[in-house]
Amino acid sequence: MSQASLPKSALGRLLYRFAPALFFIVLIALWELVCQVGNVPNYILPAPSAIVSAFFDVEISRWLTHLWATLRVALMGFALSILIAIPLSIGMIRSELLNRTLYPALIVIQSTPVVAVAPLIIVLLGTDDPSRVLITCLITFFPLVVSTTTGMLETPPEMIELSQSLRAPRYRETWQIRIPYAIPHIFSGLRVSITLAIIGAVVAEFVAAEKGLGYFIQFSTSFFKIPQAFAGLIFLAAISLLLFKSVQWIQMYFFPWSLPKKK
Amino acid sequence: MKSVLRLSLLASLVSASSAFAADKVTFQLDWLPGGDKAPVYVGIQEGFFEALDLDVSIASGRGSTDALTKMATGQSDIGSSDIGALMAAKAQDDVPVVAVLPYFTQAPHAFFALKSSGIDSIEKLDGKKVATSPFTSSNAFLPLVLKENGLSDSDIKLVKSDPGALGPMMITGNTDAIIAWVTNTALFTSQAAEAGKEIVELPWSSAGLSLYSSSLLASERFLEERPDVAKRFIKAYKKSIEFTYSYPDKAGEALHNIVPEVDAGIAAAQIKSITNLVYNDVTEKDGFGQFEQTRLMQTWDYVAEANALSTDALDPKDAVNLNYLPD
Repeated sequence: MSQASLPKSALGRLLYRFAPALFFIVLIALWELVCQVGNVPNYILPAPSAIVSAFFDVEISRWLTHLWATLRVALMGFALSILIAIPLSIGMIRSELLNRTLYPALIVIQSTPVVAVAPLIIVLLGTDDPSRVLITCLITFFPLVVSTTTGMLETPPEMIELSQSLRAPRYRETWQIRIPYAIPHIFSGLRVSITLAIIGAVVAEFVAAEKGLGYFIQFSTSFFKIPQAFAGLIFLAAISLLLFKSVQWIQMYFFPWSLPKKK
Repeated sequence: MKSVLRLSLLASLVSASSAFAADKVTFQLDWLPGGDKAPVYVGIQEGFFEALDLDVSIASGRGSTDALTKMATGQSDIGSSDIGALMAAKAQDDVPVVAVLPYFTQAPHAFFALKSSGIDSIEKLDGKKVATSPFTSSNAFLPLVLKENGLSDSDIKLVKSDPGALGPMMITGNTDAIIAWVTNTALFTSQAAEAGKEIVELPWSSAGLSLYSSSLLASERFLEERPDVAKRFIKAYKKSIEFTYSYPDKAGEALHNIVPEVDAGIAAAQIKSITNLVYNDVTEKDGFGQFEQTRLMQTWDYVAEANALSTDALDPKDAVNLNYLPD
């Protein structure tokens, strides 16, 4: 978004600033109106007011229990996928053999619907954290591998040639040239992965769990408490948004140089 | 407050287990907690398990086969599942799980329709659209119940949909009838009432499909390695079933105390509406807790036909072990 397209009048600037919030408010008001005027029953589409009251019907301690269950699996799976994806990308950049060997396997893993293999993972690893973390990791690690590899490949070849002519060891080439160039790509991968991590945790909870927001939603629909299920869903979306923003904050704080230059 | 209660309950369980080193048992549900799954929660809340030195934890499941797999692979020791699913699994692949106590002595499968649809018997489903969920054990028995009522698969238009969508589909007229368990009757009734409508229930058990259904199953390894624990568990579980159906309101409370998301009133209503699946003319004749041979054979005949298996593939007596029943 260039500076030139910003509105000039005070009202215009105000509108520009609050446009995202306004859009949501109008959308919710319209949703409420449709439900109220059209007399739409709760089990088809609950009105926002019904969702809010369903949210407060559940004790806050229950929400926190479910939230924490989902969050910790999502974060553990996310951390595991970082631990796997980045070294794997470095290895694949440094060794053509590894690249040729692993890439097809990675694509096979990525194109296998995790939802379909999740029950098998549960049978193999049990119903506790390991299987849920693995399911989350399987969903999140591919975008990270792709973005890290792409980022490292985009290092200007003259930089690599320079480092080679100076006889810099390979590890310095990786850590001081390739990785810094890959940082913006790694962060865009992280932003995609963190939202997938929540989806991964929910998929795992759908297959086997006793708590968590995914379990809570499944549970609510099994009792036909649709407004309550929606409340859980909105809670999940809010968490995803917050985690997405957190990744941005981390980038802004620790790697400000990696952000696109403001005009 | 409830979570405090739950925590203190947990704490007392933990301290009890450390004090007497109670035997740990993992109980497998075949679905999410609900009124029909109340007995195990009652056993914990009323202290029936604790009294016999048992420390029971509960794992929820996602269908009969899921529960069976978890018992077969040793992730759970004992649990509830459909005996039909067990028979089919044993006939195809000798899974190390056996039935130790019947729970539903009648099949819970049923058709539901709106009263206004005019469907008041299974024959009237001729040419109608019927919705079912993709993985329910009811689907296997559908051709049989249709046959018993002079219809065939091609006489109805069967569509598959998410279990949570079935009730709304019926109420909005998206489908003429749905297939679900009678354990859902209380929920469907309240859902229909919200739209000012009434429902009719056509249970398959009174339409020619008479068989054993949900039962207490146990992993063979659990029975062999810890026979004494298994005996004590079955004794306490049987007592819990009796308590659940004698005091449905207390049972609903017990379930709610452990799983706060379950509404105690709805759970109690569910329990009341399915009492006849547990206690009926079958249990009156044979007594509760018995797998009667002829009925067991009949159940296997239905299961074999529903799953296109040869009746020689299994001796149904091998799917049952009554040696662990309390005297």
